Amino acid sequence: MLALLVVLSLLLLTAYFGESSGGGLHGVQRTFLSVVSPIQDGANKALKPVRDLFGWFGDTFHAKGQRDELRKQIDKLRPELIAAQAEKRNYQQLLALYHLNQLGVSAYHPVPATVVGKSPTFWYSTVTIDKGSPDGVRVNDPVVNGEGLVGKVVAVESDGAQVDLITDSSMGVSARIGTSNATGIVQPKVGDPNDLLLQYLPANTKVNKGEYVVTSGTVSGSGDSLYPSGLLIGQVISENEESAYTSVNVRPIANLHNLDVVEVLTAPANGTASGLKSLIASLPPGQNQETTAQGEQLASTGAGG
Amino acid sequence: MTGTPSSALVLRVCALAVAIVFFQIGVVSEVPVFGVNADLTPLLVAFVGLLGGATLGAACGFAVGLLVDLTLLQTLGVTSLVFTLVGYWAGRLRELRDPQAALTPLLVGAAGAATALVGYSTMEFLLGVDAPVSLELLRQIVLGIVVDTLVAVPMWAVVRRTLEGALPEDPRRRRRRRAYTTGGLSPLSKA
Repeated sequence: MLALLVVLSLLLLTAYFGESSGGGLHGVQRTFLSVVSPIQDGANKALKPVRDLFGWFGDTFHAKGQRDELRKQIDKLRPELIAAQAEKRNYQQLLALYHLNQLGVSAYHPVPATVVGKSPTFWYSTVTIDKGSPDGVRVNDPVVNGEGLVGKVVAVESDGAQVDLITDSSMGVSARIGTSNATGIVQPKVGDPNDLLLQYLPANTKVNKGEYVVTSGTVSGSGDSLYPSGLLIGQVISENEESAYTSVNVRPIANLHNLDVVEVLTAPANGTASGLKSLIASLPPGQNQETTAQGEQLASTGAGG
Repeated sequence: MTGTPSSALVLRVCALAVAIVFFQIGVVSEVPVFGVNADLTPLLVAFVGLLGGATLGAACGFAVGLLVDLTLLQTLGVTSLVFTLVGYWAGRLRELRDPQAALTPLLVGAAGAATALVGYSTMEFLLGVDAPVSLELLRQIVLGIVVDTLVAVPMWAVVRRTLEGALPEDPRRRRRRRAYTTGGLSPLSKA
C-alpha cells in the first residue's frame, strides 16, 4: 500500500513537473479549483468570525509588542531629544553672541565660557563659569550673553570664575536710557531680585515704557566704568515719581535664569567704549528714542561699575 | 489495526480531512503565530495514522496531500508524497509500539510536523526552487514545528473524538488491558 501510494505520488510529481502549464494535470487542478472555489468562498465567509477572533488575539499581541517596541524607542530617543534641544539652545546663544560680536563686542576680546554652576539660593545671584585666569579672565571683567549684560566677574581661579549677575544685591551699573545722555545707576530692586531699578536720573527726564537701558560706559569721579558703552541691560517697564531724581523699573533683557553660554569681555573698556554705538543703532525703532534730559552725570562706578 | 478500514471510518476520515483542509486554508493560514502559521494537515495525517494504523495513515496522507496540492495550486504529488510517509510512519508506530504515554500525541505531532516541514522543503529544493538555505528559513521551520507542537494536543482531541466510534478495537490492546486488570493471568487459569 505504501509503495503504491509513494509510486503514485512520484508519478504525479513527475508528470506534473514535466508538463507545461496547459497540460492535463494542470487542467485537472484548475478544474478542481473552479469547483471548490465557491465552497472555499462560502467556508471563508462562514469562518470569518473565527478568523477575526483569532486575528483579534493576534493583533492584540502584535499591538502590545509594537507598544513595547515604541516605548523602547521613546526611551532611546528621549535623551537624544534632550541633547538636541540643549544643543539648539546653545547654538542660539552662540549665534546671539556672534551677532553681538559683529556689533562691536569683539573689540573687547570676548572669551566664550560655559556656565557650569548656578547659585541655588534666591538671595545670591551668582553663576560659575568654566574659564579662569589662564584664559585671561580677571576680576571685574564684564560678562555678557547674546541678549545683553549679564554681570561681572568677582572671583577668578585657574579653572573657573565666579560671576555676580546684575540682579545681585552687590551690583550697580552706570547706565543710560537709549542713546540719551540721561544716566543713572542700575541696581537690583529691593524686594524683587528679578527686576532692576535705574535710579538717579535727572528729575525732568522723560522716560517711555519699553525704552532700552544700556550701559553708559562713562563715569565721573573715582574711576572708569567697568562696562563698555552700549551693552544692553534691560527695558523700561514703569516710571517711579520721586522728588529729586527720577527712577524707572527695568526688566533685564538677558534671561538670567537660563544661562548656558556667556562671554567674558577681557579687554579693558578704556579707549574702546565707542565700539558699541552700532549696537544701540541696531535696536528696533520706536524704543530707541532720544530723551531730552540733559543732566549732570551722577553715575559712578560706586558698587561696581 | 492492520485490516481494511471500515467504510464508516473512511467516511469520517474524509469528512474530517475536508473540514480540516478548508479550516486550515480559510482560518489558520491567515492567523500568524510568532510570525509563522500553524499547519494542521500533517497533524491530522499523523493522528489518523496513530489511531487507524499504517494503511489508513498512508491513504489519508496521500488524499490530504492531494487535496492540499489541488486547492493551493501546488506541484501535484509533493505534499502527497510527504504526507503519505508521515501517515505511514505514525501508523507503523502504533502497530509496532502502541505507545500509551500521555505525551505521545505531542511527540507524534511534533515529529509529524517536523517530517512534513523538512520533507516538503527538501522536495522543493530537489525540484529546483530558487531559494537559498538561509537562517531565516531554518528559523521558520523550527518555529513552525514549535507552533504545530503547541496545537497538537487540541488537534489530537478533535481527531480522536471524531474517529472514536468508528475505530475497530485492536485485539492486542484488548489483550494488554486484560493483562493489566488480571495481573497477567487468564480468569480461567484462576479456577
